[in-house]
Amino acid sequence: MRGVLAPLAVFAVLFGVLPAGLSAAGSGYLFRLADVTLIFCILSLSMQLITGVAGLLTLGHAAFYGIGAYTAAILSTRLGFDAGLTIPASGLVSALFGVLIALPTMRLVSIYFAVATLGLGEMIYVTLLNWVSFTRGPLGIGDIPPLRPFGFDLSSPLGTYLLIAALAALALLVVHRVAHSYYGNTLRALREDDQCADAMGLPVVRLKIETFAIATFLAGIAGALWAHTTGYVNPADFRFAESILILAMVVVGGLGSIPGAIVGAALLILLPEALRAIGRVRILAVGLIMFLCILFLPKGLFGEVTALDLVRRQFGAAWRGSPTDRPLGWR
Amino acid sequence: MFDRFDIFFVQQLINGFSVGLVYALVAIGFTLIFGVLNVVNFAHGEIYMIGAYAGLLAIVFLAPPWVALILLVLAAGIAAGVALERAAFKPFRRFRDEASLKSKAMRESTLLSSLAISIVVRESVEKIFGADMQAIPRAYADAMQDPIVLGELAVASGQIAILAAALVMFATLQWILKRTDIGLSIRAVAANPLGAQYVGVNVDRTVIATFAIGSGMGAVAGILIGLYQGTIFPAMGFAPGVKAFVAMVMGGLNSIPGAVICAIVLGLAEAVATEFFGQGWADLVAYVFLVLTLVFFPTGLFGAGRERV
Repeated sequence: MRGVLAPLAVFAVLFGVLPAGLSAAGSGYLFRLADVTLIFCILSLSMQLITGVAGLLTLGHAAFYGIGAYTAAILSTRLGFDAGLTIPASGLVSALFGVLIALPTMRLVSIYFAVATLGLGEMIYVTLLNWVSFTRGPLGIGDIPPLRPFGFDLSSPLGTYLLIAALAALALLVVHRVAHSYYGNTLRALREDDQCADAMGLPVVRLKIETFAIATFLAGIAGALWAHTTGYVNPADFRFAESILILAMVVVGGLGSIPGAIVGAALLILLPEALRAIGRVRILAVGLIMFLCILFLPKGLFGEVTALDLVRRQFGAAWRGSPTDRPLGWR
Repeated sequence: MFDRFDIFFVQQLINGFSVGLVYALVAIGFTLIFGVLNVVNFAHGEIYMIGAYAGLLAIVFLAPPWVALILLVLAAGIAAGVALERAAFKPFRRFRDEASLKSKAMRESTLLSSLAISIVVRESVEKIFGADMQAIPRAYADAMQDPIVLGELAVASGQIAILAAALVMFATLQWILKRTDIGLSIRAVAANPLGAQYVGVNVDRTVIATFAIGSGMGAVAGILIGLYQGTIFPAMGFAPGVKAFVAMVMGGLNSIPGAVICAIVLGLAEAVATEFFGQGWADLVAYVFLVLTLVFFPTGLFGAGRERV
């Protein structure tokens, strides 16, 4: 039974309890909040893969999210593509940019890589802002059609929620299978010491580029979902501050921990909403939570070791399955 | 000798040069802190902003003479820098061995903590003073705008003030680093923190002194630019902070003269780009320089084989 119950529970919450509760509340605002939280779960999961698991601190993740959103916006408003095509297309375009950016920068280490991604992220922002004939610049692109993939009308709050939840579950599955496997262990080896990993014969640069491609693909999909559900995209939504928000989710949740990324995303989206009564303190709250977390909980709310233990026991991760089902590693 | 276009172009280059000096003023403090601690201080742009706001408060409530204004801002910057060091950097220097001093974890946690502090500070200032532009009172701001005419070219007195301030700061810093005891210990810690500790340098105090010097300079740069531009706003630190960062990377991360030269080059390049492509695209120049430097000259243009700081 192990390896079945916990995934079933996640599935039940995502597709049973949450939508039932939200429908019972019947509030568009709550549905919207759930959608945004799930979109940011996809973003934080994808960043967790780069920053937490592979150890590449990126400060420009929002740019890929923006590329995805603009791809979806332009394809659906100019060419009339429906959401069934724009969502995968956004992922692919974003992953293409991810690989193009990764090729020259992946040889940089630690702080140099962080700075390069900051620079590239701002370059993409400046381009979105100034290429007025293509992106309409600071005006943004409006009237993006809601989600109607392949003729199915999912533009109702429940339909939108279910589609986003399905894609978020898919993203979770992908990140889970990548991170909790021998492949994921290889990425952790890069994080700990990439020179050593290189000396052991691991193809360091190729692994980093592959990880970057997967993560930017997911970020692009999150962007497309944002564009279709908001109906309007604007360069200001994909700036440095947004990258920092996603980074804060990963750091608060716990670097390297997949459940942590979800906890972090939920906390940093829902807590500022709960604090809305005392004024616009969203970014201030993000900064404070991040600082307190780094200071007092350097491993995050859901540290990597706890998370790996949980995943190994409950989610049937790839390295559980030795023939005798003996736990691997030190006990 | 020149036709109109050329005069205009030379005027643009002069403006670009003074913008470059602004970046250089910020970059000096940035590079000093990086050189000593080998960590990036993401909150340096906020020190610059705090300097501008401290200056505005001083002008509004005290209306001090110029020298007193600069000294007050310097004091505010030093206080902010020391507080920043205590809050965002000290808690992560708890280990003494060589491996953890150089470890990625320590570098990244200070990077994230200074980033978090910078968000908190910027947002708090925004809550107190509002996100809008604040005008500096005319009595002070106008003194920076007197035109000084040199033949067909015109230079604002503020540009001369910035040039003078940059020269004074650069000279003071070189004097502190090369001629005083504290400068000697800063250079020692920059070269090898553990070695410095073994021969009796108080590393903790040296780091605080570094932050005080770097932040004081950042704050003075902030009020000078605020006066020159006439308005200040909470997010004013971001753009010069990033540009100073680019200059530091181009200069080779721990070479102060390199950072200053690259900051001026950056200012000139932006002026030329503004001339040909417009204001919006000119912002791209810094990032293009950054990425090209990182990809083709990973040790920076002036970095290889120099003494740190």
